[in-house]
Amino acid sequence: MYFFNAQKVNLIAGAITILTVLIAIIWAFPIYWGIVSSLKPEDEVVRPYIELWPDTLTFQHYWFALTETQIGRWYWNSIVTSLGVTVLTVATSMFAGYAISQLNFPFRRALYWLILASFMVPTQVLIINHFVLVADMGLINTWAGIILPQLISPVVIIVYKQFFDQVPKDFREAAVMDNASELRILFKVYIPMNWGVTTALSIVTFIWAWNSFLWPFLAVTKTEMMTITVGITQVNDAFGVYYARQLSAAVLAGFPVALAYLLFQRRVTEAITLSAGIKG
Amino acid sequence: MLRNHKKESLVALLLISPFLAIYGLIFVYPTIDMFFLSFQKAPLIGDGKWIGIDNYTRLERDRRFDTAMWNTAYFVALSVVPGTLIALFISIGVYRLSGRIQSLVLALFFLPYILPVSVVYRIWDWTLNFQFGIGMYLFDWLAMDRIPIFKVTGWFMPAVAFVTIWWTAGFSILLFLAGLRAIPAEIYEASALDNSSRWQTFRRITWPLLWPVTALVLTIQLILQLKIFDQVYLFSVGGRPNDNLVMVYYIFQRAFVNNDGGRAAAIAVVLFIIVVVVSVLNFQLLKFAERK
Amino acid sequence: MSEISLVEVSKSFGAVKVIDNLSLSIEEGELMVFLGPSGSGKSTLLRMIAGLETIDDGKLLIGGEPSHDLAPGQRNVAMVFQNYALYPHMSVRENMEFGLKNIGLPKLEIEKRVMNAARILEMDGLLDRRPSQLSGGQRQRVAIGRAIVKQPAAFLFDEPLSNLDAALRVRTRVELSELHQKVKSTMIYVTHDQTEAMTLGDRIVILNDCKIEQIGTPMEVYNTPRTKFVAGFIGSPAMNFFKFELRQTKNGREAHLIDGTTIPINLEIDGDDIYELGIRPESVSVSQAPADCSGVVKVVERLGDRTLLYSELNDGSQIVAQDSGISDIRVGQNLNFRLDQERIHIFDKNGNNVLNK
Repeated sequence: MYFFNAQKVNLIAGAITILTVLIAIIWAFPIYWGIVSSLKPEDEVVRPYIELWPDTLTFQHYWFALTETQIGRWYWNSIVTSLGVTVLTVATSMFAGYAISQLNFPFRRALYWLILASFMVPTQVLIINHFVLVADMGLINTWAGIILPQLISPVVIIVYKQFFDQVPKDFREAAVMDNASELRILFKVYIPMNWGVTTALSIVTFIWAWNSFLWPFLAVTKTEMMTITVGITQVNDAFGVYYARQLSAAVLAGFPVALAYLLFQRRVTEAITLSAGIKG
Repeated sequence: MLRNHKKESLVALLLISPFLAIYGLIFVYPTIDMFFLSFQKAPLIGDGKWIGIDNYTRLERDRRFDTAMWNTAYFVALSVVPGTLIALFISIGVYRLSGRIQSLVLALFFLPYILPVSVVYRIWDWTLNFQFGIGMYLFDWLAMDRIPIFKVTGWFMPAVAFVTIWWTAGFSILLFLAGLRAIPAEIYEASALDNSSRWQTFRRITWPLLWPVTALVLTIQLILQLKIFDQVYLFSVGGRPNDNLVMVYYIFQRAFVNNDGGRAAAIAVVLFIIVVVVSVLNFQLLKFAERK
Repeated sequence: MSEISLVEVSKSFGAVKVIDNLSLSIEEGELMVFLGPSGSGKSTLLRMIAGLETIDDGKLLIGGEPSHDLAPGQRNVAMVFQNYALYPHMSVRENMEFGLKNIGLPKLEIEKRVMNAARILEMDGLLDRRPSQLSGGQRQRVAIGRAIVKQPAAFLFDEPLSNLDAALRVRTRVELSELHQKVKSTMIYVTHDQTEAMTLGDRIVILNDCKIEQIGTPMEVYNTPRTKFVAGFIGSPAMNFFKFELRQTKNGREAHLIDGTTIPINLEIDGDDIYELGIRPESVSVSQAPADCSGVVKVVERLGDRTLLYSELNDGSQIVAQDSGISDIRVGQNLNFRLDQERIHIFDKNGNNVLNK
């Protein structure tokens, strides 16, 4: 009796494992399918039966996208704006997070609660006023206009504050005894000691900025200023009903962030768990 | 510690001023502006006329507003709880794996989350394409008529919810995994010695211990899906946008399509209040449940 | 001229006044130990001298200069933290250079001081390592090195040995003593360990509940404790205490212990009152003939150089006596104890030593 139970347990465990792997494969299948379809010539893509691997492997659509469309410019726009958002968000959050964590100044608590409160505000409701603001500043169709409203990221500053809080007081006291000025303490002690957090937050902010759709969509009316995330959905006439071509553009758009994830998997998961912890 | 208060405040000011400047400009000011705009009759850009609460009272009779509210609620119902449960069960499966297989499987589940919404849109628009999509074979297999999913009102929301769950589950799975890993192995060993069945173990041990994470995931998902726009907008192109309206889409429509800034702002304020109320309620509910 | 003086200082945490009108002087070049149990205020006093805690009232003089308003880094003192607080992302060398760079010393001078400190502490090979690559004892030396390069008027040590294991602790204690002799600086050393205090201190300040119980050399506080607290805190195992009533009988003055035992007291005290008699275990010897009191041995501890006899007197009160290392006394034996009259301490009901003021 005992024997059979053990066997049964193992059988179920094995079944669950196989099931999970199977589901994972099915889960990722659409991505695979999208990539594979982009490697087929258009006439093969519309064949009335399923071919899991291209009959004729071709990069013609990628070639087309890279040479005949504005994808190059879109890439550039995405890189500049994503980098801009990342650098500005991380830098300002780092400084402000340190101040809130380590320094005493009037209205410190009020500021902290204000930032916490801003968590609850969905930035989507501000699109109208952001648009008006950016238009009034003459920044529609500019990089600055795309970057500016995306600089709201309360998560980053809260994470920094928490990490700076956790640095043992000893280090600060030692630095004070070492005659370090406040700024030196920030740059020479606190930031280097939290380098991992900075890396994780930067990568995640970059990915998030790259992927953002709503605001870059609203902020740009000229196709040459679009980010790649927006561009691939807006320029239907250039592609017409060329499925494989559209898919190749999508692959090109998603490739950089997928690569960033695969390279920095650990940092990304770290940052995500961190930011979720904050929301909880 | 002996501190020079004046000097410290000065340094603090220096450090927070970039943040404050940006925050004031793109958060505080637009939020206040939104409230003011909602009481005006105004185009998207340009001056308006003060009309009091007219924009709000109009919402009562506004059919599209109704649609937007219901669709949003419907969408939330379709995506939040099912999405969370799916993520939970997947994460249990992933938890039982180990080593490279676990890393690989986790990456497969998480990869969609990394992609921009437009890429997700392209992938699923293709997969569920009425004429050539591979998903259509499923209908054949089930001996049903093929359906142009995103063009049929009844199918639209569930399909978008489905895609959204596919897209965002990775995030929830990650959190659940962290929660599962935080449960000490000894507890499972003890229950095994107590002859607990798989289901009993789950119900009596895993589920209660995982509850804080589950609550967190539900909260995050709920607040996230209330604000949905991207997928709904994209999948509605070429379809029937007015039937598929959700709150943010309606705001967008009023402001950028109908050029009515005042009315759009009123809707925005309503959504703002809903999200804040839901957040606070949620927070209190969880606190209460925690104490139980 | 005293190197460091606290003059009538007070400090409050919120509404609670923890240190009230305390004064204390530390001579130039001496190693002064602040000794006391946790919560006695010893760390607070150290930090007040360092500038890491504010002095609400009173003055602090360092080298004769009023320093209570100066920033911590400006007071010409260097601190060695309990947990070392070595910057983990910097090498040993960079850790030591950090403070000197902050005040803008020329590179050559910095280099010279770092090399000098490394030599004194025998750390030459460690300069380019990170703290995580060092052992506990090595880290402590880096912490000291960081203080040495500052060339301060005084070194402040905050329980430096508490993170080391027992063997390392003894070795490091000796090294610290040697360091003091080599560097000849004023040092203030905070600890709760009376052995460290006795072995390292030129003088000891014994603190209890944020008040000074006694200041004196190790021998002074050992042989002539001013209060019962000091008597009980210094020395291991602790002093024996017995409450007694002093009576004048025809045999002279006698101390009547609660168990009825009577001990003739040859000392001059006024008044009939309740007092407490204190005597160290090494002054309680075993006697063949009936002597001052008697009891039953409960626990025998053989330490090799001496034997401790934990015994119980007739009324149940405990006494610790000491016999030679080769004693063959066993548990359960009935013994007679003699108290060395020369070594008796008598404390009044306020805890003050009535004999040796």
